[in-house]
Amino acid sequence: MEQELAALTERLAALESSTAMSGTINSEIFYWWCTALMIAIHAGFLAYEMGASRVKNVLASGIKNILAFAFMVPTFYFFGWYIYLSFYNGLLPADDAAGLPWELSMGPNLTDNATGIFWAAFTLFAATTASIFSGAVIERIQTAGFLILAILLGSVVWILGGAWGWHPQGWLTVKFGYHDVGAAGVVHMVAGFFALGVLLNLGPRVGKFNSDGSANAIFAHNVPFTITGLMLIIVGFFGFLGGCIIYMPGEQWINIYGQPTTLSAFAFNTLMGMAGGIIGAWVKTRDPFWMMSGALIGIFAAASGLDVYYPPVAFVLGTFAGFVVPMVAVWLEKMGIDDAVGAFPVHGIGGLIGVVACGIFAGGYPNIDGMPPVSLWGQIVGAATMAVLGFLPGYVVSFVLNAVGLLRVPDHIQEKGLDIVKVPVSAYPENYVTGPINVATPAGVAAAPAE
Amino acid sequence: MNTSPITSWDGAEAVFTFADKPAVMMLFLLLAAVITFGTVVIAAVHEKHAYNSH
Repeated sequence: MEQELAALTERLAALESSTAMSGTINSEIFYWWCTALMIAIHAGFLAYEMGASRVKNVLASGIKNILAFAFMVPTFYFFGWYIYLSFYNGLLPADDAAGLPWELSMGPNLTDNATGIFWAAFTLFAATTASIFSGAVIERIQTAGFLILAILLGSVVWILGGAWGWHPQGWLTVKFGYHDVGAAGVVHMVAGFFALGVLLNLGPRVGKFNSDGSANAIFAHNVPFTITGLMLIIVGFFGFLGGCIIYMPGEQWINIYGQPTTLSAFAFNTLMGMAGGIIGAWVKTRDPFWMMSGALIGIFAAASGLDVYYPPVAFVLGTFAGFVVPMVAVWLEKMGIDDAVGAFPVHGIGGLIGVVACGIFAGGYPNIDGMPPVSLWGQIVGAATMAVLGFLPGYVVSFVLNAVGLLRVPDHIQEKGLDIVKVPVSAYPENYVTGPINVATPAGVAAAPAE
Repeated sequence: MNTSPITSWDGAEAVFTFADKPAVMMLFLLLAAVITFGTVVIAAVHEKHAYNSH
């Protein structure tokens, strides 16, 4: 009898160990595929930016976007991951700082199945922020200046916002109950406001504005390509949002703040927000470019409360944001700011709506470990923090880069086209695309959403 | 060149190359950083040259 009991105990222990290992590996697999899907975001931005560029700048736009991806990976390894794990209290590292690139967890380690896969997922979040910014500045930013700004945004600024408001011990969470499960603030607001800060110093593309301040439409050379790119971004966002929730082997999922949730919750509200965004933008603009941008806007508008919204709330938020954001794009142009792909309206304002809406429609949801519940005040503090955190470094560093001649491509080079000056191959070598390649016509025809 | 930090897989933890040689790790880390940031400098120089020659 005792022998049987001992054998049974041994088998039970082996079974428990096997189940635990299976859970650990399932977790790795989950984030592996989230990361792979997130690469579709970058592929989408690549198509989107190249399509939005004129023929003479197509490849230069593509190169810039590909480089953003390439430089995010090592720089996020060098210091991005460290910033996330160590700066959750503010601008100084915490006592339990971690994530330095010479730690034994920062490479193949048979006792650590988590660090590499989480680092990879966060690196792709970083690449997303850099891509958001990348689209706004096409056709007139220098590569070196762009890379410095992309590294600053992707491997320093947004992840600092992540440490503050997207970390279980982040000060915005601990002190204000900030709730932003789908990163409307820490990714989209930060990237959108950063882009705005840079655009103020970079200036518009040559030919965008007339001397009286009126705007010209600069046509995308391939609108179908931009629309397909936008759809790819949406596919990738299912990886992004999957990566926003934490797989707990043998237990219920938790969100980034440690509160219980489900992937089902994210599925309901992501799709409902997305559909609302398309409809809102369609009603406002009748423009397929803005309809697909509306899909993204709708997701961002619902993103902060994906874990708790009643799905029709996400739909209404998406519709509202999809309707309103194109108007911000028109206003921006009237202010003389050339945001080539609407990065600030779509991400900055879409994210802002998402963060504030969470305070209105998800107020009162409890937190854990005695931290404050979700509140409108907490969300407003979070939104203001993300706006300043994005805008200020973008503005200041681009100002300095402009002063030292590393920001803007000279006007005569813009007129000639960046590809012929900087790229050793041609996008359309057989002149597949014919006709004038630098058309400037009165605004409101295609580039700006219909009023 | 023996780059392995382990002599057996039993109880192995960090198994990446040079995990037991911090100085070599730092050397490669530094090299990677020089490549990353040096390329940005090269990009700036290349661009200036391209703009000046057009």
